[in-house]
Amino acid sequence: MTPVLKAKNLCKGYEVGDEVITAVCNINLTINKGDFIAITGKSGSGKSTLMHMLGLLDTPTSGELILNGKNTKGMSERELAQVRNTDIGFVFQAFNLLQRTTVLENVMLPLIYSRIPNSEHEKIALEVIEQVGLSHRLKNKSNELSGGERQRVAIARALVNNPSLILADEPTGNLDSKMGEEIEKILINLNNEGRTLILVTHDEDLAKIAKRQVILKDGAILSER
Amino acid sequence: MNVKETLSAALKSLLLNKIRSFLTMLGVIIGVFAVISLVSLVGGIQNYVEDQFEDLGSNLIFVVSGNVGGGSSRGFGSAISSANLKEKHVDIIKSSAKDYVDIVSPQIQTYVTVKYKTHSEYCFVFGTTFDSDKLFNSHTYKGRYFSRTEQNNSARVAVLGYLLANKLFGDENPVNKTIKVDGKSYEVVGVLAQKSPDYDESLILPYTTVMNNFDSTSITAITAKAKKGVNLDEATRQVELALLRDLDSDQFTVMTQEDVLQSIGSILNILTIALVSISGISLLVGGIGIMNIMLVSVTERTKEIGLRKALGATSNDIKRQFMIEAVLISMSGGIIGLIMGWLSTLIIRNLIKASVPFWAIPLALGFSVLVGVVFGTYPAVKASKKDPIEALRYE
Repeated sequence: MTPVLKAKNLCKGYEVGDEVITAVCNINLTINKGDFIAITGKSGSGKSTLMHMLGLLDTPTSGELILNGKNTKGMSERELAQVRNTDIGFVFQAFNLLQRTTVLENVMLPLIYSRIPNSEHEKIALEVIEQVGLSHRLKNKSNELSGGERQRVAIARALVNNPSLILADEPTGNLDSKMGEEIEKILINLNNEGRTLILVTHDEDLAKIAKRQVILKDGAILSER
Repeated sequence: MNVKETLSAALKSLLLNKIRSFLTMLGVIIGVFAVISLVSLVGGIQNYVEDQFEDLGSNLIFVVSGNVGGGSSRGFGSAISSANLKEKHVDIIKSSAKDYVDIVSPQIQTYVTVKYKTHSEYCFVFGTTFDSDKLFNSHTYKGRYFSRTEQNNSARVAVLGYLLANKLFGDENPVNKTIKVDGKSYEVVGVLAQKSPDYDESLILPYTTVMNNFDSTSITAITAKAKKGVNLDEATRQVELALLRDLDSDQFTVMTQEDVLQSIGSILNILTIALVSISGISLLVGGIGIMNIMLVSVTERTKEIGLRKALGATSNDIKRQFMIEAVLISMSGGIIGLIMGWLSTLIIRNLIKASVPFWAIPLALGFSVLVGVVFGTYPAVKASKKDPIEALRYE
C-alpha cells in the first residue's frame, strides 16, 4: 500500500543571530490511507512546526516529505499551493472563516483555486455542507453561527476538494465540551468513512479518539503507540 | 483562480466596506469630475467665442494696439495697455484702403453706471460708429440705431442692449426715455435685438460722444469690413500698409477673424492643459488615498491572506486579487466622476454651449485605471509576500 504521507528524517531549524535553534529533528513518520493519528506534546514540543511542514505551509531544513508518492522537495511555490489545494484539508483551532461571508461561500473558497469547473462548485459544496449537517445554514454569514457550527463549516471546507489528508490543529480548542464532542464525532465518522486524519493537539483526552498517537518532546518523537 | 472569480472576490470585499470604499474613491471622483467639467467648460468658452465671431461675419479685419502674437512676449496685455490707435488712423484706412474695405469703424470701450428713475446698472459701454450695426450684424428691435448726424454732433443718444433695457425699464418701452449716464442725460433711441451676452448687457453710444464725455479717448480697436469680391488677405495687407504710414509695425496688429480665433484657441488650449494638470493633482492625491487604504486592508486581512494561501492560493492569486480591488476602486471613482462631470456639463450648457469632448472619456477612465494600477501595486505585492504561517497566526 502506498502511504498517503511519508516523512523521512524531517528537520526544521531557525537561525537566531549566529545560533541555529532546532524546532523539529529526525522525524520519521508513515501515514497510510485511513489512518487517524494524533500528534501530541507539550507547548514548545514542535507540534505546530511539524504540522506546518506536513501541511506544506513550511519547508523542512532537511529531510524529505513524500505525499501520495510525490516528493515535495524542490517543488515550486505554485506546485506546493496546488498540492495544498487538492491533497490537504486544513481545520484550524480559530476556524479561520471569512467574516461576513456565507457558509456556502466559505465552503466554496478552496474550489476557486482548483481546476474544478465553476459550474460544479456549488453542487460539490452543498454535498459537504449536508455531510456536516449545516444545509439549513447555507445563507447565514459566518458571524451568525455558533462556535460548533463554525468549526463544522471549517470541516466542510477542508473536505470540499476531497483531499487525501485532513490536518486538524486543535479543532476543539475554542469550543465548550458539548460542541467539542460534536466535532470529535464528526472527525471519528470521517475516519470511519476511510479518510486519513492528522490531529494536532495538546489535549490528551482528544488525542484518545485517534487510532495512533505520536508524542513529541523537544522536537523529536518521544514515543509512538 | 480565474479573472471572473478574482473580480467577484474583489467586488465582495469592496462591498463589505461600502463607506470606506466610497471615501477611498472620492479623490478619483473629484479628480475626474474636475477634469471633465473644466474641459467641457473651456470647450464651451471656445464654442461661445467661435459663435460670436461667426455672428459677425467672416470678412472682418480687426486692428488692435500693440503687437499681439507676432513673437512679442507682451501678447494681448500690450493691446490693452498701449493706446496707439487714434481717430486719424480710421481716416487713413478709409482713404488708403478704400478699394478694399467699405466700412471702417473705431471702437472705444469703458464701464459706466447707467440710471433710469431708481434703477441703476453698472455696464459695459461700446462707443462705435452709426454704421457699426451693419458691421456686426446687430439689429434694433425697438426704435433705431443712432444716425451719422448724431455721431458727428457727439449727440447724447444711446442704444441699449436687450438685457440692459430689460433690467432698467422692465416692461416699459425705453425708446425716447431719458437715462442718466455718469450723471448726464442721454436719450434712448433704440433697443438691440437679443444677440449675445456681451452685446445684450451693453450700452452702445456714438464713439464721438464717448470721446467727448468720458476719460477714455483712445481707440481700443478698429474694425473694417472687406469689400465683396476682395481677397481678405489682400485687404488685410492693404490695411496694414495704410497704418504703417503713421505707426511702427510693433505698435499695432491687424488680424482677421481666423487669426483672432487661432489666438484665442491657443490661449484656451494652454488654459485647458493648465486646468487639467491641476485637476490631475487631485487624481494623484486620490491614488495616494487608494494606496493608504489598500495597505490598511492588507494588514487587516493578513489572516485571510494566510488562509487563502493555506487553501491553495498562490502569491500571484493574492497579488491579482488586491490589484483588482485597487483598480476597481479607482475605476468606479472614474466612472462616478465621469457621470458627475457629464451632469455638471448639462448645467453649464444652460449658460454656454459646453459639451464633454469624446477624447476626455477614455482619457479620464484610462487615467483612473492607471492610478489604480500604479498605487495598487505596492500593497498587492506586500500582500502576496506574506508568509502563510505568520499570516495565519496574526491577531
